[in-house]
Amino acid sequence: MKFLVCVSKTPETTAKIAFSGDGSQFETSGVNYIMNPYDEWYALVRALELKELHGGSVTIINVGPASNDAVIRKGLAIGADNALRVNAEPNSSLYIAKQIAEHAKTENYDVIFCGKESIDYNGSEVGAMVAELLDLPFISFANHLDLEGNLATVSRDIEGGIEVAEVETPIVVSAAKGMAEQRIPNMRGIMMAKRKPLSVVEPFDFADLSVPVHFQLPPEKGGCVYVDGENMDELVRLLHQEAKVI
Amino acid sequence: MAKYMSMEHLRYVLFDVMEGEQLFKFERFQDHDKDSMNIFFDSIKDFSDQELYPCFREMDEQPAHYDNGKIVVHPALEKILPQTGELGLVAAPFDYEDGGLQMPLTFHTAAMFIAEAANNNVPGYPGLTGGAANLIATFGSKVLKEQYVPNMLTQEWGGTMCLTEPQAGSSLSDITTTATPSENGSYKIKGQKIFISGGDHEYSSNIIHLVLARIDGAPAGTKGISLFVVPKKRINGDTLENNDVLTAGDFQKMGQRGYCTTHLVFGENDDCQGWLLGEANFGLKYMFQMMNGARIAVGRSGVAISTAAYYASLQYANERPQGRRLTNTGQKDLSQGQTLIINHPDVRRMLFLQKAVAEGSLALMLQTALYHDLHMVSEGAEKEKYYFLEELLTPILKTYPAEMGQTSVSNGLQILGGYGFCSEFVLQQYHRDIRIMSLYEGTTGIQSLDLLGRKVTMKGGKAMMLIGQEMGATINEANTYDELKPYAKKLSEQMHLTTKVVGFLTGFAQKGEFERFLSDATLFMDFFGTIVLGWQWLKLATAAKKALVTGDKTQTEEFFESQIHTMKFFFKYEIPKTAGLAQSMMDTEVLTLKEEKELIL
Repeated sequence: MKFLVCVSKTPETTAKIAFSGDGSQFETSGVNYIMNPYDEWYALVRALELKELHGGSVTIINVGPASNDAVIRKGLAIGADNALRVNAEPNSSLYIAKQIAEHAKTENYDVIFCGKESIDYNGSEVGAMVAELLDLPFISFANHLDLEGNLATVSRDIEGGIEVAEVETPIVVSAAKGMAEQRIPNMRGIMMAKRKPLSVVEPFDFADLSVPVHFQLPPEKGGCVYVDGENMDELVRLLHQEAKVI
Repeated sequence: MAKYMSMEHLRYVLFDVMEGEQLFKFERFQDHDKDSMNIFFDSIKDFSDQELYPCFREMDEQPAHYDNGKIVVHPALEKILPQTGELGLVAAPFDYEDGGLQMPLTFHTAAMFIAEAANNNVPGYPGLTGGAANLIATFGSKVLKEQYVPNMLTQEWGGTMCLTEPQAGSSLSDITTTATPSENGSYKIKGQKIFISGGDHEYSSNIIHLVLARIDGAPAGTKGISLFVVPKKRINGDTLENNDVLTAGDFQKMGQRGYCTTHLVFGENDDCQGWLLGEANFGLKYMFQMMNGARIAVGRSGVAISTAAYYASLQYANERPQGRRLTNTGQKDLSQGQTLIINHPDVRRMLFLQKAVAEGSLALMLQTALYHDLHMVSEGAEKEKYYFLEELLTPILKTYPAEMGQTSVSNGLQILGGYGFCSEFVLQQYHRDIRIMSLYEGTTGIQSLDLLGRKVTMKGGKAMMLIGQEMGATINEANTYDELKPYAKKLSEQMHLTTKVVGFLTGFAQKGEFERFLSDATLFMDFFGTIVLGWQWLKLATAAKKALVTGDKTQTEEFFESQIHTMKFFFKYEIPKTAGLAQSMMDTEVLTLKEEKELIL
């Protein structure tokens, strides 16, 4: 079976987010990047588990510049067989989805995985767009996926319970927590990853429809005010005059 | 999860300050690069976050202990120990032909530091296994290597070093464990060893002890000591059988309580077999190869614990409100709410001290490991240069993070006030854990004798001359930035003071007054260690200044400014101590030499 895993590079979860003075650029100084955890821990690892069960291959795809290669190599170190990077500086989910779909349309993947969202923009868009562009079924936020021949059984949490769907492959799935457990790459795997194929292709010609104009941080949270337990009058005053909740 | 180390700072020191990537141009290390190292560090950080840090407090509260002939350790080690092997923490620095990964020690040390900051009870197990395997790989026969090294590199089998006996600790010439030749080429080992870290537990299917012993008829003293491979279970075809290695007990300790320390008895039933490693009577020389690595590892532990303690104190200081800042009238404005304690100058002083010790020691740790790697891969005069530099810095790395680490952690505990003394908070655990670091692998006194008695004087002071050149290069670079010039000048003055002190002390050696020469060796260690840290801080600040000036920033501006500010703190609060130490060392009054009349009553 052939599996494709779409991965993105995101700032580390503890990175301090800042923008340039005019808000047009993300300030990258001091930011460490990682593979989007939903892509790595759930999408990629479940693809590897399914390959181990059913045979086949796992390919990683990323749309981005050469600086993304470190993240891609981590995916190869975890166990993917090969990788493809579309050499571009994407600005929108649609652009990324178009590039992935363009590659996937001739490759006959059985399952195309992506994480349920990236932890930077939290868009949850790419998977659905890829499915639409390839005219494939799409199941979002999946936390379980089994394959039996070309029949996939996919579960996801819904309000008050679990929804189980059966669908014929090929499909596109966005993976959520529960789909698999993180695999930590070891040093031998990291060294072997350097010998696995990482192809770089130029992007399919597509005029991006959107351009980010401005970024801004949310308003700073107010500091915590400590009120002496004996001073109820002060507490009431603060709640009334400053917090304006009573 | 609480922060216990900074990946940003580690990467900054490793890549921006030490330029660790220079190692990858050498053939031995050419299969590695910055990206693969960063992936490895992320793996170790994930492993540390998920497996090591969560059981750190528990390992202290449920210590390793002896029960009915066995050592019981924390059950989390059942999963953790194989993972250390799987991740490559044991095999990393070994040669390819021995099953290793030829990773530079600099990067392996950095990875172990991450794990150790998360839980200092654990890295000793794979660390000693690697040390023991390294001795077998270096000095063992082909058969011994094939029999033992592969299973040790995966941590399926553990390893130890067995030196100390009840009557022989720092003085190894007095060991009495015996080795009697057998007809099958092995030796019958008989004796007792104490303080054996990682000596026994149920989560390694075999433990390979490297035991110092005397072959019957060997010369007295250190020249008659040989080294033996003594497995807990000996290999018999495809099976393992007991090798008459008895665990007689354990030692309950004030710190590192999750890391077992055992008392082993070899040959109680005259059936303990050992195999000679290398040549007879060269055991201590071989063991010292492992000891050098172990001393670097102990220094690393001091760095890791003081780092973790710094972040624990910093978090508390950023969360705990107490008191109010003084206004310009000298009074407190009681209408204002309480301020966080990080805003009080004295708390800030303690935090800066912690940061200066922890981060400066981290730089010293990586500097020493870098010299080790450069020595390994260089040729000719360069090889000799890095050998001397590593030899000189090793006792300082072993000692400064241990001794000043204690001061640092103690200040961290002080920041918590009464809570620091309470078991609810982790500082008291770090305070107990770091205490052993000035005892392990040669006490501070022994390291100081090594530094002043051997390293400073070797080859006519060559190592001191070389370190002076290294410091001079840092001073020259710092002098290109106006902001750093005053500190470059101060370091230069410290170098002159060092020359004066060394000249004064070695004068006693030249007169044959060796006891007087070495009587204040520990003061010299404190003195010179502080200057070496000053050098490292100037190096850290110079790299930071360069990044700010050139705009080639791998970190935020605040990060670089913090490095420069902490350097200034070190030069204001720590460097001046050297003047007092120099005065004591050069005082002609002699008070500690043993005289006929005992005055210590």
